Amino acid sequence: MSTIAPARVVLEAAGIRKQFPGVVALDDVSLRLRSGEIQALVGENGAGKSTLIKVLTGVYQPDAGTVTIDGAPVRFGSARAALKAGISVVHQEHNLIPQFTVAENILLERIPTRIPQFVDYAAIYREARPWMKMVGLDVPATRSVSTLSAAQLQLVEIAKALSLQARILLLDEPTAAITPHETGYLFRVLRELRAQGVAVVFVSHKLEEVFELADRVTVLRDGRNTALDHVIQGLTQDQMVTYMIGRSDVLAKLPGRPEHGEPVLEVRDLATEAGARGISFSLHRGEILGLYGLVGAGRTELAKAIIGEVKVTGGGVVVRGRTARIRDLRDALARYRIGYVSENRKEEGLILLHSVLTNLSITIWRRLRLFGQWIRRSSETAAVMPLVKQLDIRAHSLAQQVGTLSGGNQQKVSLGKWLAADVEILIIDEPTVGIDIKTKNALHELIWNLAANGKAIIVISSDMPEIVRLADRILIMRNHRLVGDLSNNHDYEEVSAAIMSRLS
Amino acid sequence: MIAIWRRMSGVALGLLIVDLAGALLLTVVTPSFTSTYNLFITGRDFSILLLVALAQMIVLAVGQMNLSIGAIGGLVAIVESGLMVSYDTPVVIALALGLVLGTACGAVNGLLIHWTKVNSFILTLGTSYVFAGVNLGITHATPFYHVPGVVASFGQARIGAFPHVAIVTIVLTVALAVFLRQTVLGRQLLAVGGNQVAAALSGLPVRRVIVTAHGISGFFGAVAGTLLMAQLGEGQPTIGVTWILPSFAGPIIGGAALSGGSAPLLGTVFAMVLVSLISDGLILVNANPYWVQFLVGALILGGVLLGRVRAVGVRDVFRLKSTPPPVTDRPAEEPVPRRPAEQK
Repeated sequence: MSTIAPARVVLEAAGIRKQFPGVVALDDVSLRLRSGEIQALVGENGAGKSTLIKVLTGVYQPDAGTVTIDGAPVRFGSARAALKAGISVVHQEHNLIPQFTVAENILLERIPTRIPQFVDYAAIYREARPWMKMVGLDVPATRSVSTLSAAQLQLVEIAKALSLQARILLLDEPTAAITPHETGYLFRVLRELRAQGVAVVFVSHKLEEVFELADRVTVLRDGRNTALDHVIQGLTQDQMVTYMIGRSDVLAKLPGRPEHGEPVLEVRDLATEAGARGISFSLHRGEILGLYGLVGAGRTELAKAIIGEVKVTGGGVVVRGRTARIRDLRDALARYRIGYVSENRKEEGLILLHSVLTNLSITIWRRLRLFGQWIRRSSETAAVMPLVKQLDIRAHSLAQQVGTLSGGNQQKVSLGKWLAADVEILIIDEPTVGIDIKTKNALHELIWNLAANGKAIIVISSDMPEIVRLADRILIMRNHRLVGDLSNNHDYEEVSAAIMSRLS
Repeated sequence: MIAIWRRMSGVALGLLIVDLAGALLLTVVTPSFTSTYNLFITGRDFSILLLVALAQMIVLAVGQMNLSIGAIGGLVAIVESGLMVSYDTPVVIALALGLVLGTACGAVNGLLIHWTKVNSFILTLGTSYVFAGVNLGITHATPFYHVPGVVASFGQARIGAFPHVAIVTIVLTVALAVFLRQTVLGRQLLAVGGNQVAAALSGLPVRRVIVTAHGISGFFGAVAGTLLMAQLGEGQPTIGVTWILPSFAGPIIGGAALSGGSAPLLGTVFAMVLVSLISDGLILVNANPYWVQFLVGALILGGVLLGRVRAVGVRDVFRLKSTPPPVTDRPAEEPVPRRPAEQK
């Protein structure tokens, strides 16, 4: 029924399973790709897209399942073996050498020589030009790559991949860093390549782009296929979003909570360096405010602007009725009693090689000190022990390295340091990403109880069931703007439909 | 003592055993090793070099380096001896000014690194030449002879084999241990070294912490310079020029991570004992003393390698696996050597 000319399957992954300690990243995942086709690979963060790409390019070995190329099973021992088989990846971060010229970068893997080891520059420029022309890269071949725009860099990468005889091109979020105009140009190039028989896998969070460019789509959610090789035509955005974020998990209903108190945080017409404009909302004592949006909508940047870690360019923040000028998180904590739990606990939340004790008490050292500088270990331990109990942190001892705990326990520590500091306003960015369902439930109950005890909480999440379960009110963010402010009656069907209508 | 024993890392324990074995070996092989005078000389050199090693350790703890410890020590020794010899400044004032100067030099390193975001290696390489240049500009490479007797005699004094300068070292080492374990700033210092982003996002004053680490480094370098001046009895412009190797040898053999977050104080102490035993032993057995450099260099390489092995395992350090596990999210881009001729 497809409008696409019948083409042969060049790459097929079937029943792929990939397990990491404590997590099943891919579970029975499949992907089918034909020559002369653009296949979109879609899913929220943590759905398993990057793991799948790494399996296809030989970076990871699957624990189960097969990858076949032209019908023959292959098993890549390394990224290099995949390249040899004609699979190339263009990553979000560029793998180019900035100081080298465009032509040198394209031919880097096989610099032409006349005498062995002596570079034949004339040949470099001569050989690179056809590839540049193929991707429509209209700059001198002798230009240094460091002077190119993000979009041009992408074209250099594609030209490089093609020059390595890639028949299968994997593009990992190629439009994340380029302008809409450049995106249009990139799409023309990709369509041209499709016409020449190249098979393209296109990873993107932007659904509009998927609908514009792709022929078919494969959707992953929590490491499983929710759509496989689905023809784009006839598919609606609503259906696609449902594939991506799914239905509510069955979790116990949370008990009632007292009414909200006075507003403690008011954001007024906020504009930030990261691109947010006209953001206004208020957060009350005892309230859980959900901030929902797809990845890339600017939610984390908004949170970081509130705590002073992203520059505010307009509007303002009012804390407990007074205009606040928050310089950085230290200021936010000391003067305004605001805490921030990062979505990225390993890089931004925890000091992995240090103890549970250090990671929990880090926010209160100043409060515990005696005679200016002195800290007694006993008072430190006494301060964090109740938290370990309250949060049910499973560790051998307070001296255990945080990095050796399970993900759920790490998240509890990352959250716990703000409870130690007894902040009034807590922003929690993706509270349960990569965490098993039981701990997830425990964290939900914890957040719920914190609000019941008077804390004002913002929960940022791209997990719709989580937002519908926890939030009293839901702000919907899209492309750095607020596009909705719903009160939540915790009815999943109704609320999720309302959210989706704001997103498409 | 029991607390120290229980907290001792594997590296420190291993070094302690090697130290004891080495000392035993030297006692058996060369009778002069245990002579009071030899123990005094060795202990005195050790006291000064340990301070140099601790000056480096504290900066490594925040994930940075200080190549200017020797230059700071030299400059401080010159300024102090110059004040005392040429301007008749009272000893206490001259020494206090010198130590303040050394601390300030270190703090300037820290501030410049924080403001410019220039790599600490290159920045302190630069400032080391600035400090050394001021030193030579003041002295024209001529020493200030005849520092006041009270200073020189302290540098020479001993009780049996126990050098007086070691008192200073012991006090400062214990103070540093207490600082790192028991004070807010000390804990913050290790936290910033462990993960600067997470520390900043937990509300720690990152700039103050980095400047403090470099200030302490400058202070320890200044004390080491002062003690060496006292021992020599004169302000030699060359004080500190050979300190770069011992400064790294102590913490790195002692188990410090170059990425920061750890301050293995006992490991550093025992590593410097080993370095002292090696230099003393080679002199006593009439070996060519230049081999000291070779051996200490080899030990540093061994220490670094041991650190890598502990971090990623033996197999990966020596690339024994065909496919190393990806350390980052970014797959390794490996070159595909294909000759143009093969493509047809």
